[in-house]
Amino acid sequence: MGRFSRKLRKWSVDFLDLPQDLVFDLPRLTMVGNKQLLIENHRGVLHFSPDKLKLALTDGSLDVDGRGLVIKAIMPEEVLIEGYISAIQYFGTGEKG
Amino acid sequence: MKTPGLTKLRGSVKVTVRGERIEIFINELAKERIEVWNLRPLAPDRMEMEIVISDYFRLRPLLKKTSCRVHVDKRAGLPFFWIRIFRRKWFLAGFALFFLIIFALSSMVWDVEVKGNKKIATEDILLAAREEGIYPFQWIFRLPEQDKLSKDLTRKLKGTSWVGVSKSGTKVTIEVVEAAKPKNTEMLSPRHLISKTDAVVTHIFAERGQPEVSKNQRVKKGSVLITGVQGDFQVAAKGEVRGLVWHEYTIEAPLVLRQKVFTGEKKERGYLYFGDTAVQIWGYGKVKYEQSQTLTRLDPLTWREWKLPLGWMSEDVMEVTELETKQSPEMTIQRGLERAKLDILAKNGADARIVQQKILHENTDNGKVYMKVLFEVEQNIAEEFPIVHNQGE
Repeated sequence: MGRFSRKLRKWSVDFLDLPQDLVFDLPRLTMVGNKQLLIENHRGVLHFSPDKLKLALTDGSLDVDGRGLVIKAIMPEEVLIEGYISAIQYFGTGEKG
Repeated sequence: MKTPGLTKLRGSVKVTVRGERIEIFINELAKERIEVWNLRPLAPDRMEMEIVISDYFRLRPLLKKTSCRVHVDKRAGLPFFWIRIFRRKWFLAGFALFFLIIFALSSMVWDVEVKGNKKIATEDILLAAREEGIYPFQWIFRLPEQDKLSKDLTRKLKGTSWVGVSKSGTKVTIEVVEAAKPKNTEMLSPRHLISKTDAVVTHIFAERGQPEVSKNQRVKKGSVLITGVQGDFQVAAKGEVRGLVWHEYTIEAPLVLRQKVFTGEKKERGYLYFGDTAVQIWGYGKVKYEQSQTLTRLDPLTWREWKLPLGWMSEDVMEVTELETKQSPEMTIQRGLERAKLDILAKNGADARIVQQKILHENTDNGKVYMKVLFEVEQNIAEEFPIVHNQGE
């Protein structure tokens, strides 16, 4: 999924007034098989090891488990993870939902 | 989300980050929008990542803040390549120099060739070309335009109708077409043809002028054969007059014929020579021959077509003996006559023809044959004689 198409999608969702993730600052996960995971709207890295990546969210945290995890790229709001992903765990406080 | 563009061009480094608070460091990176990629955890407090060089220098404050340490593992990209290359600058300079020399040498005139000249000396053409700027070791790009060159050379070289200059590679070919000149007609002053000896005319042909004598007529030395006076005009008489002339020869020929012959004995000498001095290498010792003839042969060292002023000189000293052969009086007479005939031909022209020979008197004495011979020869008898104006009346 290209960056442009993603941007376009974001914009169209915004324009058509179908927000959810933006409005509530919710993370948005895009996964390609078990190899690649793009997380938007994260709030920083809490823990990083080959087997486990823990990300902070606006409310709660997200655990990504797997083997040989690599952060392909990281930006203030986005992070792209590669490797063999076996599990994703969401620890939410449930305040905003 | 891939690696940033043109990392190869901008240069990137692979670094290892060490520290307790690596996660905070990563967050700081993201916050500062420093582009990093391929973050790979190695150990709990150790991580590998790649970063563009310009961003690498922005890491420092972040490292201080999070008390992490960084170590460069691998460098990649063009800037590092340039540094490596620059370290070998003299090698590179040589490389450049090589191409420069090749270029310089191939943009020089190495050879000037002149074609098609028959009457005009090649040296003259080369000299004219040199004045125009065509000479060996001249830069090709300094040569004027070819049509200008050929025009100037045509003007400069007398006796040419066209001069073409063509250049192929490092060779300049000057092609010359010589002007066809009308034949030089001799400007002759008026003249007669007169007889140079007493003779009997056998053949007269006047190309120009008036024949004064006819065939079989006896003429005296100095008499006019073909006159240059034609009415009021005076012309240069031209023609062919042949006549019979008597030549008297007194011949003496020895009965014994002396000839020099090689005996086959010889002595060889070898010299090395440098300029005018020669150093003998072998063949020392006296020559025992009474009479000898020396044959000298020079064998200079050559390089291409040039002879060097040093080389080998060999001398063969050959023994000579004189051989005496007795001849009969008849043979001797024959030999004497042959010699006289050669003399006639040499004196009166190769077209002289011996019509008759008569031995008037013959006498053998003191080992020699003495004789008097009369030759009747048909030969050219005409001689030019200028007509002089104002003969002083």
